[in-house]
Amino acid sequence: MKEILIKTERLSKSFSSGGSLQHVLKNIDLELYKGDFTVIMGASGAGKSTLLYALSGMDTPTLGRITFGDKVISDLDSDGLALFRKAHCGFVFQQIYLIDSMSVLDNVLAAGLLVDRDKRALAGRARELFKDVGISEETIMKFPAQLSGGEAQRAGIVRALINSPEILFADEPTGALNSKSGLDVLDTLTDFNKQGQSVVMVTHDMRSARRGNRILYLSDGIVMGECDLGEYEHGDEMRHKKLSNFLTEMGW
Amino acid sequence: MSGSLNRNILISRANIRKAKGQTAAIITLVVLSSLMMNIWLMLSIDYKNNFDRYHERLNDGHVNIAAYTVDERFNKFINDTLDKNNDVTEFSVNRAYCSPISFRYNGGETSQLGVLLEKDEALARDVGKFEITDEGSLASGIYLPMLYGMENNYSIGDTIELSIYGEKYKYTVCGFFNSIMAGSHNCGLYAFLLTGDKFSEFTGKNCASESAYISIRIRDKMRAEDMETSLKDAISGEFPDVTVAGNNYKLVATSRYISQMICSGIMSAMAFFVLLIGVVVITSNVADYIRENMQNLGAQKAVGYTSRQLVSALIMQFSGISAAASVVGIILSYCIFPAVNSLMIAQTGIPYKVKLLPMPIMITIIFISGVVALAVYLSAGKIKKIEPITALRKGISTHNFKKNNVSLERSPLPLNAALAMKTTISGFKQNVTVCVTMLVISLVIVFSGVMFENVLKDIKPMIDMIAGESADSCINVNLNREEEFKSGLRCDDRVEKFYLFTNNNVEVQHVDGISLAVSVIDDSSKLNNQSMIIEGRFPKYGNEFAVAAKYAKEKGLDVGDEIMLKIGNAQDKYIISGLIQNTNNLGKDCIMTREAFEKISSLQNVSYYIDFVDGVDIDGFNSEMSEYFGSDVNVVYNILAVLEGTSKVYVSLITIIVAAVVILSCIVVIFVMYLLVRTLIGGKKRDYGILKALGFTTRQLVLQTTLSFMPSVIISTVAGIFVSIRIINPLMALFLSGIGVVKCSFAIPVGFIIFEGIGLVAFAFAAACLMSLRVKKIAPMEMLSGE
Repeated sequence: MKEILIKTERLSKSFSSGGSLQHVLKNIDLELYKGDFTVIMGASGAGKSTLLYALSGMDTPTLGRITFGDKVISDLDSDGLALFRKAHCGFVFQQIYLIDSMSVLDNVLAAGLLVDRDKRALAGRARELFKDVGISEETIMKFPAQLSGGEAQRAGIVRALINSPEILFADEPTGALNSKSGLDVLDTLTDFNKQGQSVVMVTHDMRSARRGNRILYLSDGIVMGECDLGEYEHGDEMRHKKLSNFLTEMGW
Repeated sequence: MSGSLNRNILISRANIRKAKGQTAAIITLVVLSSLMMNIWLMLSIDYKNNFDRYHERLNDGHVNIAAYTVDERFNKFINDTLDKNNDVTEFSVNRAYCSPISFRYNGGETSQLGVLLEKDEALARDVGKFEITDEGSLASGIYLPMLYGMENNYSIGDTIELSIYGEKYKYTVCGFFNSIMAGSHNCGLYAFLLTGDKFSEFTGKNCASESAYISIRIRDKMRAEDMETSLKDAISGEFPDVTVAGNNYKLVATSRYISQMICSGIMSAMAFFVLLIGVVVITSNVADYIRENMQNLGAQKAVGYTSRQLVSALIMQFSGISAAASVVGIILSYCIFPAVNSLMIAQTGIPYKVKLLPMPIMITIIFISGVVALAVYLSAGKIKKIEPITALRKGISTHNFKKNNVSLERSPLPLNAALAMKTTISGFKQNVTVCVTMLVISLVIVFSGVMFENVLKDIKPMIDMIAGESADSCINVNLNREEEFKSGLRCDDRVEKFYLFTNNNVEVQHVDGISLAVSVIDDSSKLNNQSMIIEGRFPKYGNEFAVAAKYAKEKGLDVGDEIMLKIGNAQDKYIISGLIQNTNNLGKDCIMTREAFEKISSLQNVSYYIDFVDGVDIDGFNSEMSEYFGSDVNVVYNILAVLEGTSKVYVSLITIIVAAVVILSCIVVIFVMYLLVRTLIGGKKRDYGILKALGFTTRQLVLQTTLSFMPSVIISTVAGIFVSIRIINPLMALFLSGIGVVKCSFAIPVGFIIFEGIGLVAFAFAAACLMSLRVKKIAPMEMLSGE
């Protein structure tokens, strides 16, 4: 029996646009499990990123309820959500979003020091993570603008993991990278997931989606279906086949 | 040409639309600056002109002399002397009574040399006319200078009690008059007009000296001081026993405008300070604008705009805003000016009608717009270096990647403080703006602290500096009763101490200079105001005297110099033992020992300053003495009451000034913080969005933003206070140099100033916190969906 990490009940999100309401998420009931590598797929405008940001407390739903463990996060105010994100979540963004005026190490420590004030231990942990993702000691002293896209995204992953979050949210993490860099990033995420890190990733790239063990397909604000790839190892051709069939079934 | 202008207008309008908040804040600073600048210019240009206008309108004298005689021989002498003098254009001589006159004023008392004139004769004068400004239907009584009809002092129908040589005279106030040279006790010589019946009551009485009151107009009014000296010299030479008092155009022009000088001086200082802050803020804004609009500027260059056009657009934008804001400030200054004018008229006693003055308006607008244009031109130089293609690629970055300031790994600071410090170090222009602002405001708070300590809390230091010596009471007795008087004081246990301090309008002439009012003392160690001597020491011996520091400075005299002094025909050499300072005669006075004075003259009567033990009724004691010594007591006055009257004027003026500068400083802090915080948050919107996404709360980001200003706030406040404490006294002395102050020794309330400094830092912190609440509006989602 898998442990539920996040649960949504009748989750809805609407935006007002040009005087009319646009319903992006519609009554979504969903459970995300600990240790899973959940991938949210769907066409552009399906509501993937909106769902990710609602689940992660980056945004508030219009209606419905989101529970993280025992805690209802959909009722929290902006500072409550910030504290929730700090305590439980890590983020990897498509545009990376490292702070330009800080060194790569400082970008990571700025996030880490929010939770752990032991600078020495934290810096040690950051260096280990940098090593794990293949970023050298010399590189971590550089500024983000001096890094390649892949290096910057892997640094972003280190920042996301520095506080050992219960869940890592990744929004199109390979979207702005070239093929080689994208693979490196996906390998990194896969490795951390294998070590027990829960990951929720939004993507519209099937190659990326193959890394997940649970695929949710979103269409027009509704979860149209899901596919469990957990029975197959990463690299197994059956995993690819099953995902292809699922996506074809979903009309992708 | 017009096409280029239109393009510039379009760019300017677009820029203003994009930065409405900054524009509003800059407008406010320019409005404040122009408001104060226009008031300053009106006060300093037209108030002086107003003095001259009234002086001409009343055909007033450039020199006024009161000689204590009505001898026919004197009349002939003075008429002949003035007729023969080519510098004299016209003059009037009238019969008058002259005496030190005391009366209630401003809740206290004032006592100065006054002239009593017959009203109808006075109104008929050719030179030195008196203009009735207000009168009732009363036929018998007194007309007062209009100064005494202000601030709820006297009204028509009230009774005024004049104390003349110990006797009280009660008169009904029939009206008020305007006179430039004799319209205030600050003139050195002032007048009251008595109706014929009241004037004739003095005939045959021995209370006030029957005198000749002479008003003289000369060709060159700037030589009035020399004319006064030479006339006094001529009179003393011919009539050595005749006491002569007088004033001149320069002395009156200065002394009647002390308050205006102080007020306009502070206005000008504040106007320049606020403008300086405004310019620093504009400069900072221009730099931010270039940084934030690098791509737009590149695009504009790419489509054919030249650097000159882009810079011109910025100059047009800021100068245009400044000119418009200056107009608003000038309009506001005309709304405020009637109140300032009422305050000034209550101090000067000269009516002034507020009217539109084109010159100050033009100077204000042109100066402010010009300064702003120059500042924009100098700070917009970077636009010339922008290459279109580089800018379009965001190739020009303001951040240099040489050094990661405040490494989070090594910094001992807590996270928020360390992140704030990173912002501080990278924000050079922000720090310069904060530093300039806080340095200026530190000077303001030191000034307000010093004024609080030396004027509002206890005015004695101020009075000591400007009024010279003071005690509880002053009694002037004839020489024949002096010893009896002194014995009485010695035996009276109400008297704490007494000492000779005779300064009843006796003047001594510096042979190579001008006439100096002299105070005769017997024991300088008993003087209450030892700080009156600012260099050297008080005179002790018969060949010494102490001279006003301002006069000594003008004449290049120093302690130890020997100069020739004369009274009448007698003269002798004296050594300058020290330099003194008070403003009674605008820095043209001296102190001599009795022995030294009697080498060239003799005292007709003597004034003793008396200090009492606590709780003594001063007026009661004075009355007792007047009664006991009868006509041998010439003058009694309650110095404490006089000081109370004088101090009220200064306290009210300084209270208004201190309140105004403190309020203004608070407004400036708020606006500067608003601009800086807004600029900072605007520039760090993306970073703050990222930090919020990572879990930083609004409170943490507000704290970071606020803390980033604090190092420069604290350092510049501490430095500003340190420097201001050192310069405040010299600055005040410079400021008051016009009235005879050379050295200012105000006590510096260091504790209070530190408290004020802490208050200022706390206020800046609170203002920055309040302005930083804008961070709340930054949502991580906006940042994520914004790109």
